[in-house]
Amino acid sequence: MELTRNKQIMLTGNKAAAWGARLAGVDYVPAFPITPQTEIVETLAQWFADGHMHGKYTNMDSEHSMFMAAGAAAASGVRVFTASSSQGILYGLEALHTIAGWRVPLVLVNVSRALATPITLEPDHNDVLSLRDTGIIQLHAETAQEVLDYILMAYRIAEDPEVCLPVLVNLDGFYLSFTREPVVLPDEAEVREFLPLFKPSQPVFQASEPMARASAVFGGGNYSYFKIQHHLAAQNVVNVYQKITQEFGERFGRFYDAVERYRLDDAEYVFVMSNSFATKGKAAVQHLRKNGIKAGLLKLSLLRPFPSQIIADALAHRPKVAVIDQNLAPGMGGILYPEILKAVYRREDRPQHLLSVIGGLGGRDIQEGDFISILQRLDEAPGDDPLFLFDEKDLKQFDQLRQIAGFPREARIP
Amino acid sequence: MKATISDSLEESKYKKVTDLNPEEEIAPGSALCAGCGGLEGMRLAMKVLGENTLTCNAAGCFTLISVYPFTPLKGSWLYTTMSGPVPAAQGVRDALDIRMQKHGLPKAEDLQVIVVAGDGSTNDMGLSPTSAAIHRNLDFIYFCYDNEAYGNTGFQHSGASPLGSYTMTSPNTPEHPAGSEQTKKDLFGIWMAHNPPYLATVSPREPIDLSNKFKKAKGMKGPRLFICLSPCPTGWGFDPKDTHLIAKLAVDTGIFPIKEFVDGKVIHTKRPRKRLPVEKYLERQKRFQHLFAPKRRDDIIAQIQSNVDAYWEQYDE
Amino acid sequence: MLRIRLHGRGGQGIKTASQILGTAAHLAGYQAQDFPLYGAERRGAPIAAYARFSKNIVLERGPIAQPDIVLIGDETLLSDPMAAVTQGTDASTLIFINSRHTSHDLKQHYQLESLPVQLDISELCQKYIQKPMILSTALAAVGARLMGRIDLHHLLQAIREELGQGRLGPEKIAANLKLAEEVFQKAPSFDLEFSESDAGFSASRLVTLERRPPVDSAPLIFATGNMALRKTGNWRTHRPVINYEECNGCAICYARCPEGDIRMDTNDKPVIDYDHCKGCLICATECPKHAIEILREVESWN
Ligand SMILES: Cc1ncc(C[n+]2csc(CCOP(=O)(O)OP(=O)(O)O)c2C)c(N)n1
Ligand code: SF4
Ligand code: SF4
Ligand code: SF4
Ligand SMILES: [Mg+2]
Repeated sequence: MELTRNKQIMLTGNKAAAWGARLAGVDYVPAFPITPQTEIVETLAQWFADGHMHGKYTNMDSEHSMFMAAGAAAASGVRVFTASSSQGILYGLEALHTIAGWRVPLVLVNVSRALATPITLEPDHNDVLSLRDTGIIQLHAETAQEVLDYILMAYRIAEDPEVCLPVLVNLDGFYLSFTREPVVLPDEAEVREFLPLFKPSQPVFQASEPMARASAVFGGGNYSYFKIQHHLAAQNVVNVYQKITQEFGERFGRFYDAVERYRLDDAEYVFVMSNSFATKGKAAVQHLRKNGIKAGLLKLSLLRPFPSQIIADALAHRPKVAVIDQNLAPGMGGILYPEILKAVYRREDRPQHLLSVIGGLGGRDIQEGDFISILQRLDEAPGDDPLFLFDEKDLKQFDQLRQIAGFPREARIP
Repeated sequence: MKATISDSLEESKYKKVTDLNPEEEIAPGSALCAGCGGLEGMRLAMKVLGENTLTCNAAGCFTLISVYPFTPLKGSWLYTTMSGPVPAAQGVRDALDIRMQKHGLPKAEDLQVIVVAGDGSTNDMGLSPTSAAIHRNLDFIYFCYDNEAYGNTGFQHSGASPLGSYTMTSPNTPEHPAGSEQTKKDLFGIWMAHNPPYLATVSPREPIDLSNKFKKAKGMKGPRLFICLSPCPTGWGFDPKDTHLIAKLAVDTGIFPIKEFVDGKVIHTKRPRKRLPVEKYLERQKRFQHLFAPKRRDDIIAQIQSNVDAYWEQYDE
Repeated sequence: MLRIRLHGRGGQGIKTASQILGTAAHLAGYQAQDFPLYGAERRGAPIAAYARFSKNIVLERGPIAQPDIVLIGDETLLSDPMAAVTQGTDASTLIFINSRHTSHDLKQHYQLESLPVQLDISELCQKYIQKPMILSTALAAVGARLMGRIDLHHLLQAIREELGQGRLGPEKIAANLKLAEEVFQKAPSFDLEFSESDAGFSASRLVTLERRPPVDSAPLIFATGNMALRKTGNWRTHRPVINYEECNGCAICYARCPEGDIRMDTNDKPVIDYDHCKGCLICATECPKHAIEILREVESWN
């Protein structure tokens, strides 16, 4: 396909991700397929084979191997892209922690899919949030356009001489990965101005620069030094991100922030959401507003580093806030809820009520009615227990399956 | 496509120890045990491979070769994970190729990518990534130092632990008199089935044979794989001074065949003329002491012997 | 609280010695704790182990900075600053050294603050278990005796329990018990005070780290080959010494040294790098001319 200037075309979230890698001028893609990410790696394989992309696409044998190869290539001076999802992220977890500590720049995409057990295909965010403590930067996308734009910005962040860290761009499986919507494809030359071809800012493997990387470090103090430095670098990305999004906005006309404040200004009720389901939240806000209820939405885009201050500012003086976690830490609750609590804890202007909501697990849809239930619970001065978005219909449907599966067992024993 | 070995290479073969590269590519001072057989093997190999190398390392004893802020190597080093060195080698190889092809990196900047991993990594969790890399024809050299157990964690059972050996996780008890009841995996056979351009076993006790094999491999492309028997005084239970003696007995008893696989053929490059009984090798190591005392276990020793005999029968002239 | 620090090398049974002490004290009715500190080092490298005893619950963990008793199983460690065997000691610390030298000579030679307790337990180990540097039993027996708080029968029971868990047969255990008895009789006894630490704590001087550039924030080493800065010569208990009269320059020793510590000089004679030689003695074993002699390191200052 010929690239015309800032053309708008229909793309799935996955295709937008592939375009992001292509426009970034990626040199190297080590890959391994998994639903719902497959379309990304298939597209890139095709583009490398067709000569639209230059460098190398390598079929790896697992995500662990894939992330090791990605990190090692980044340490050897090329621009690297890779993608995975769900079980693949878990399989590669050791490698992801490892290469994050190498302090090498690369971009990876996660197409969210709920984790086994039970094995399933549709999204929630337990996969990507299992990486929350790796020190990998995380950007979560709501739309296909964001996927593409974030990938371009992700390279700028990853390769920033002050950062040198992997950056992950997250998109929801199915709801975004397979959904087509219009996306502005920026002009390649313009992208190159924003994101020049890769020039490593630190020494990379080659004969004239022998070095040892990632050697064992003994002694808790020495270990702490590297970990604290990793933290400081990740933390600093809040600033780097703002600088880069500003530049991106000026160049391409699309401005991003660490969070999106959707009709927050006078909102009495706020839904805190992320990823593609934020679209549903926005729809609910509009609907509620029409009915005279002052609702608003805070969309989390930059998840790591966690922009506590920005979040606390956005939620300041909002009376009732529901944090909708599309994930579950059994025995604890939602994963983002305590992070939001932490962000606002010290603030006098913090929300009066903070409700933890768990919904959208395994792709369970979040519907209008759910938002009304959330409002009701918010009005009841909620405690710490999460509100689960699981309704009578869900239960009825499940009980039917359960019967077919042979439950209750006593009924079957002659 | 496989490289063939030129005649000129034959001529410049190592013939005596004074032919070895006098430069030490691995500086002394590492934390490995005194008398480590695997280190001797790697030292000899690196003398041939030189400093334009990058060594990707798997978790194991040899991870201690470079402990921050020290590295003994003149070349580069990348510690990975227990199953990660081969894919990391893939990433480095691919990156250097891309930079040479696409970004004009001079050929002189190229590196020979090497993997250094123990038998546990190699036979167990690293096996599948390695299989895939050989399948992809990755251009690299694999040096597996085989101390027949998970040495770094205190000598537990690995896929390479031999029948009748005591390890911390295959203890001998009255119910399990052999210790390890499994025979050592045939890694050579597994790798050979991938039909790599070059595959060899080496012993630190045979520096000339070892050096010539690495020299041969150095002149080739694609996956070139080495298994180095690595007598381990600490885990096997013998005095460090006897490392070479144990290595020699492993060859003389036929327990560790010294061979290579090239151009589709297996060639034994150091064939014991008359094989010594395996017990000559076993009796000198603590990990086999339960086969001799308090009661001799002729049954187990005979089984080990017959496994060795069966191996060599395949190659009877 | 009574704090004991044990020093030796990997493979000398230092950890087991601390465990025998821990068990013996436990049997004797004390609250006890023992703990080995593994570095990355392998056999031959200096290691330390720790034991604490108290009448009350032990509210400490980890390495002991200020020991009441230091048990040095391997005298060569005293000349190794990295092993830091006397760190945190003062004139009141009881220091035991396994040595053939007298207390006075040891004090003078190693410039110790007080007179150490000395006994050649290696000799006794050789006598009973034929392994002069397997020190687990003997060093524990010294410790138990020095403390003056552990009876022989508790010590022996602890040895039975600790060694019985390994692969030692009954005869070997019996030999160890005899060894323990003789060491126990020969070593002096002290009635050490149990000090309850009430030293005041002062605040740590915490620093706020500044963010540094990525190259300075990941484990990266550019000084390739710098491992030689680490001197492993102190691992040696025995020293290989080349007899150049006998040596024919065959270079076998050079080829066989795993550390690459032998180089052939311009006259084709081997030279050993004693800064790094770990003393595995492969060279001496492999030399076809038997031209490499073996000397015990600590004898060299006599
Ligand atoms: C995923 C993972 N599991 C376990 C370990 C712990 N581990 C470190 S080294 C090692 C043994 C490696 O054995 P081998 O490859 O034979 O090398 P050796 O230690 O014998 O040198 C193990 C189990 C690890 N590092 N990573
Ligand atoms: S345990 Fe064995 S393989 Fe590991 S460093 Fe020591 S001697 Fe070498
Ligand atoms: S092995 Fe012996 S004879 Fe040969 S060079 Fe060494 S010391 Fe001399
Ligand atoms: S004793 Fe000999 S072989 Fe061993 S490290 Fe020293 S010089 Fe090398
Ligand atoms: Mg091993």
